[in-house]
Amino acid sequence: MRFLGLIIVCLTGALLLYGTGEFPDWGDPDSPASIHLSNYYIEKALEETQVPNLVTAVLADYRGFDTMFETAVVFCAGLACFLLLRDFKEKKERFYRHTPTGVILHVKNSKKILKTGKEFEHMDKDWVPADLIIKTVCRILIPFIQIYALYVVAHGDFSPGGGFQGGVIFGSSLILLAISYDLKTLIQRVKEKVLGIFAALGVLIYVGIGAICMFMGGNFLDYAKLAPLIPGDPHHIRALGMLGVEIGVGIAVTAAMVIIYINIVSAGRHDEGR
Amino acid sequence: MDILVVLFLVIGLFFFLGGAVGIIRMPDFYTRLHPAGKLDTLGIFAMVTGLAIYNLHHFSLEALLLCAKMFLIVFFVFLSSPTATHSIVDAGMRAGLRHWTKKKGKG
Repeated sequence: MRFLGLIIVCLTGALLLYGTGEFPDWGDPDSPASIHLSNYYIEKALEETQVPNLVTAVLADYRGFDTMFETAVVFCAGLACFLLLRDFKEKKERFYRHTPTGVILHVKNSKKILKTGKEFEHMDKDWVPADLIIKTVCRILIPFIQIYALYVVAHGDFSPGGGFQGGVIFGSSLILLAISYDLKTLIQRVKEKVLGIFAALGVLIYVGIGAICMFMGGNFLDYAKLAPLIPGDPHHIRALGMLGVEIGVGIAVTAAMVIIYINIVSAGRHDEGR
Repeated sequence: MDILVVLFLVIGLFFFLGGAVGIIRMPDFYTRLHPAGKLDTLGIFAMVTGLAIYNLHHFSLEALLLCAKMFLIVFFVFLSSPTATHSIVDAGMRAGLRHWTKKKGKG
């Protein structure tokens, strides 16, 4: 089975390498990109899309398909981490701390699960109490990081930034919570199920906007056809469509980042790790 | 005004230089974190103050807002840089790294 996997990987790699042989050379002046494509983008992007940021216009509009599948790749990375690493086996031994007295209980019966809350709290063998200074500073910083992430997503079509970057910043704020407190605190606030749903929802928003464009009688991801649905200046409809797509990308990237972090740091157990 | 800007920038550069020299010259892990954490913070404060004053040449509300944003950067660096140093030292202690003593260095 392993050998078969190796053969498939090698064949795919060889196929990709064979495919790149057909590409024009690096900086080739006769390639289509140099002859007319770049010039067309530079001249017409602002006029056609009303988006001042050329890079976003190319990424989210002219090459919308490419970005859609990039989002799907990020989603697949999160899914692969979940499928390969997630370990649903119950732990055999558990440690609890009786909060009022500080007594530590060692429960060897795996079926007996104490309810954590006011009286008992979870303990791991290599658990160390989170540092007060780090906790406090991270608690102050996390809301600012999240607001900044939302700003990067929302401002993506006017200045450098966008869904991928904003999603990564938002995901890193959640990971900072897991580092400064512990993994359980993060999982209590953001359930695994919610993360999975959000990762899929992000891709669905992207594809859904494309499908609505098709439904309104245009091509897939042809944002101009959305104009009757949204009130306001119809010239800005492409910018708004891109914003919707960027929000989808942001949600997908955030959820995928956190899924990957949680599964790798705790080896799929979701119970310890700092 | 320009003299003040240059003065602040030079002070900032001085602290950055001190930090860089300190990271190379200090004898072990913990002492190296000391210049990394302390001098960078003060260096950034002096540099940004200089740049903010330079920015206020043409006084307007926008320039003032830009200054406020610049000092927001300083504020967050002031919060996060010492905390990062603190947590790195903490991790070093927990991993069991012994601190440097003078005797050991001579022997």
